[in-house]
Amino acid sequence: MTQTDDRKRDDIALAGEYALHLMDARERAGFEARLADEPDLRRLLREWDEGFVTLADDIEPVEPPRALKGQIRDRLFGGTTSAAKSRFSLFGLSGAGLAALAFAVVALVVLSITMLTPTGPLYVAEITAEDRSLVVQASYDADAEALTVERLAGGAVPGRVLELWLIAEGADAPVSLGVLPEDAQARVVIPGSLVAALRGGTLAISDEPPGGSPTGLPTGAVLAVGAITTL
Amino acid sequence: MTTIEDIENLIARVGLGDRNSFSLLYDATSAKLFGVCLRILNNRAEAEDALQEAYVRIWQKADSYSANGYSPMTWLITLTRNLAIDKLRARKASAADIDNMPEIADSGPTPEAAAVAASERAQIDTCLDELEADRAEAVRGAYLEGDSYQDLADRYGVPLNTMRTWLRRSLLKLKDCLSR
Repeated sequence: MTQTDDRKRDDIALAGEYALHLMDARERAGFEARLADEPDLRRLLREWDEGFVTLADDIEPVEPPRALKGQIRDRLFGGTTSAAKSRFSLFGLSGAGLAALAFAVVALVVLSITMLTPTGPLYVAEITAEDRSLVVQASYDADAEALTVERLAGGAVPGRVLELWLIAEGADAPVSLGVLPEDAQARVVIPGSLVAALRGGTLAISDEPPGGSPTGLPTGAVLAVGAITTL
Repeated sequence: MTTIEDIENLIARVGLGDRNSFSLLYDATSAKLFGVCLRILNNRAEAEDALQEAYVRIWQKADSYSANGYSPMTWLITLTRNLAIDKLRARKASAADIDNMPEIADSGPTPEAAAVAASERAQIDTCLDELEADRAEAVRGAYLEGDSYQDLADRYGVPLNTMRTWLRRSLLKLKDCLSR
């Protein structure tokens, strides 16, 4: 068997493992980074998904509780579907949510310190969802010791935020770089201790509650990933 | 009766931001997707959360659906199942005592029983039958119960790497059969 065949067999098994959801978070992020760039891999995954989905034929439909539909519409469309909403919950936020949001705003002010004109980024990454529903470009500016982040497509759902993560090469767990602001452009200061981890690392964005992940690890879905390349 | 084409059209209109189509899509598909969430999570409250998240995601991603080549129910079920499994893993990571997990009775037939009962067996079932019985069961367990490699290794009493080697070989055999 040639090397190309071996690689193809590896990818077939890998796509199957991904489709079954057997990989851990880091492997998933790595695979998703490849998916964004490799149509053949996307095709392999689609074939697996279409093959496995017939196993779900046996699952009996169960009517969800009636109230659930209204809750989803409230969450998406901001309380236009049910009456008696307070001023604050127009934004789909409870009091606790607002407190968390206030915290996030403080965190963002810290993050969006604008600094020197860049002399040219050392590292760049395009953080994309598999289907490009979220596209964020990031470039590291060594003079400013900050990551310039520009969101080109997509965004957070109402009442949720996007959190940026750095996964160092070979690391077990991602490190939070902070919550992304609502503005399409932002500057994220990279602590000196993390700069070295940018080389060969991966950036990822997850869906989180206001204020960001309460656990220090992604709690919501990983929406987009991108490998960091050196310019 | 909603046809596959109807669902496809609804997703396309949801992709354009049509809230009314979103409502119709929910009515047509939520029972199936809730069944999927319940099957994976085996817990009603968590399944409701997962279903909410699934429809939020469907609303967000519908505009990219037409480009991805998936049949509509596969896209909806795959997206929902993945979210439910993320929830399952998050719970397992935080649960100190797995034996205390709330459970509800599994009302559906076991996958094996249902597969035998089905008059027209899906290709995947035929191909799973070509695998050794315990490996086919491991693949079904991973798909329908959201088992991780660790769960499977524990169940079959083998080291995690062995489990992974087993399963990868089984996947390759399965793929050969499905491509025939």
